[in-house]
Amino acid sequence: MKRGTKITISIAAGILCLLLGMGLGSVFIGPGDMAAIVKSKLTGAPLPEGVPAITSSILWQLRMPRAVMAFLTGAALAASGAVMQSVLRNPLASSYTLGVSSGASLAAAAVILTGFTLPMLGGYTLVLCGFAGGLGTVFLAIGLSARFDRNLENTTVILTGMVLSLFVNAVLTLLTAFSREHLQQLIFWQMGSFAGQSWRNCGVLVTLVVPGVLLLTRFGREMDLMTFGEEQALSAGVELKRVKFMLIALAALLTGSAVAFVGVIGFVDLIAPHVVRRIFGGSHRLVVPMSALFGGAFMVLADLVARTIASPVDLAVGAVTALVGAPFFAWVYFGRRRGERRA
Amino acid sequence: MLELRDVCAGYGGGDVLHDISCAFPAGGSWCVLGPNGCGKTTLLRVMAGLIPHRGQVLLDGEEISGMKRRQLAARVAVMSQVNTVYFPYTVYDTVMLGRYQHMRRGLFGGPAQADREAVERCLASTGLAELSDRPLNALSGGQLQRVFLAHTLAQDPDVILLDEPTNHLDVKHQVELVDYLHRWCADGKHTVVGVLHDVNLALRLSRSVLFMREGRIVRAGDFHDIADAAFLRELFGMDLAGFMRNSLQTWQTVRDG
Repeated sequence: MKRGTKITISIAAGILCLLLGMGLGSVFIGPGDMAAIVKSKLTGAPLPEGVPAITSSILWQLRMPRAVMAFLTGAALAASGAVMQSVLRNPLASSYTLGVSSGASLAAAAVILTGFTLPMLGGYTLVLCGFAGGLGTVFLAIGLSARFDRNLENTTVILTGMVLSLFVNAVLTLLTAFSREHLQQLIFWQMGSFAGQSWRNCGVLVTLVVPGVLLLTRFGREMDLMTFGEEQALSAGVELKRVKFMLIALAALLTGSAVAFVGVIGFVDLIAPHVVRRIFGGSHRLVVPMSALFGGAFMVLADLVARTIASPVDLAVGAVTALVGAPFFAWVYFGRRRGERRA
Repeated sequence: MLELRDVCAGYGGGDVLHDISCAFPAGGSWCVLGPNGCGKTTLLRVMAGLIPHRGQVLLDGEEISGMKRRQLAARVAVMSQVNTVYFPYTVYDTVMLGRYQHMRRGLFGGPAQADREAVERCLASTGLAELSDRPLNALSGGQLQRVFLAHTLAQDPDVILLDEPTNHLDVKHQVELVDYLHRWCADGKHTVVGVLHDVNLALRLSRSVLFMREGRIVRAGDFHDIADAAFLRELFGMDLAGFMRNSLQTWQTVRDG
């Protein structure tokens, strides 16, 4: 199949997932009704006969922001996962395993508990703190690994990230335990959820995710070169230090901001890039945007499952992605070992 | 012309290279010989600008540490051993990555016609044209090495630095690679400096030799003028000449069949 055809099919599948995510649930809303409701909301045109006002509210106030938020989150996580894997040259690396997610959630939890707001940047407080927490953790992980291992082997970085991630999670659990009044909110949020998302949050996230993914895509060729080894990349003309720092910071920004809004959701960042590489090959100019698309679509579906399978109970979406993701993680790891190729 | 003047370099824990001065005029190949740990690879890394140095490393009279990575990459390329391939790039895409520093940058940047032509040429000259759509993980070790050679050639450098590129190859592919590079610099414009463990293979690349020991160049020049059995024994800690003569005897008794 040609690349163009594959891309077209993927985009169509992504849109289909979004439609499913918005249409299915306690009330079914068909694409025709959806179009009418959106048109009425945007232009003020009256709703057509047979579309009750409650359906309109369900779509516009609940399902659409929720699905859009899920898509943006999945896209952010998957794109940053693809970047982490290539920068650290390890198929198991991701923002999740490197502690970006837990660092971001600790910072975000602190914001929720203290009610702290940044002056001037109110709407972005949670996002920026999540970003700072995530970036702080990943650089701490890299800094610590540099102490243990002068060559900064990528395995050391990943192991350190995992240990750090567990530690930060423990701190978060302690915080949660000591703040009874926010207990429910924090626990639910640690598992990740798209319940109660607003258009405003979507607006904040979209201003970060779209430029972020485009910028990462622009550095696709640098990432391609980096996967062949750092010296290779340097001697091919990549300003390695600058590019690497920027890529990690950008990946942390994407993950950190997504986590700050919706909580910790694992595995998407791991799965999406692998599936995409299977279909589209290794080139990051395609892998990054396609991972974003795939991750977004996957997240919308995961959220659909989370809110419908035990309806009316809203399951944590993190549990759904982990149910699919954990076996996949094992498959990537052990499958690779079994099929170990020449060095 | 690549020239080193009083170069010292190392890795944090002290210098590995001491006061290295040498020059590699365009249009020739050189090999660097010496026992393990004598600083051969470090010397290459300094010339490629991969690690910092004191003293001067001049490329046509210009100090390399002041150059941008892209400028340097357009003139000096490094070819090392095949690394692990993590992601399934195609042969074509991998060779195209060699054009990185020539390409237009930015989100909508990418290969121009000239880049595509260069890649086609490199694929053809390394015999990879038919494999261009194959993913790297479906290639044999020898094919993979040719892909990296094509990648290096696509970079279109003046100088290629070889860092043990033949380690995983069988004899046929080793000789092919070395002969190809030997021809590549026979045009008078290109230079190859190679670090190869296999002394015979190194001498096949070039008779111009730098002998190194403990981070210093001890002798430099044409192999026949500067090497004698006693010197080689002392340098390598074994009777190298005797060993080679012995092997030769073995080979001379092989029937033509």
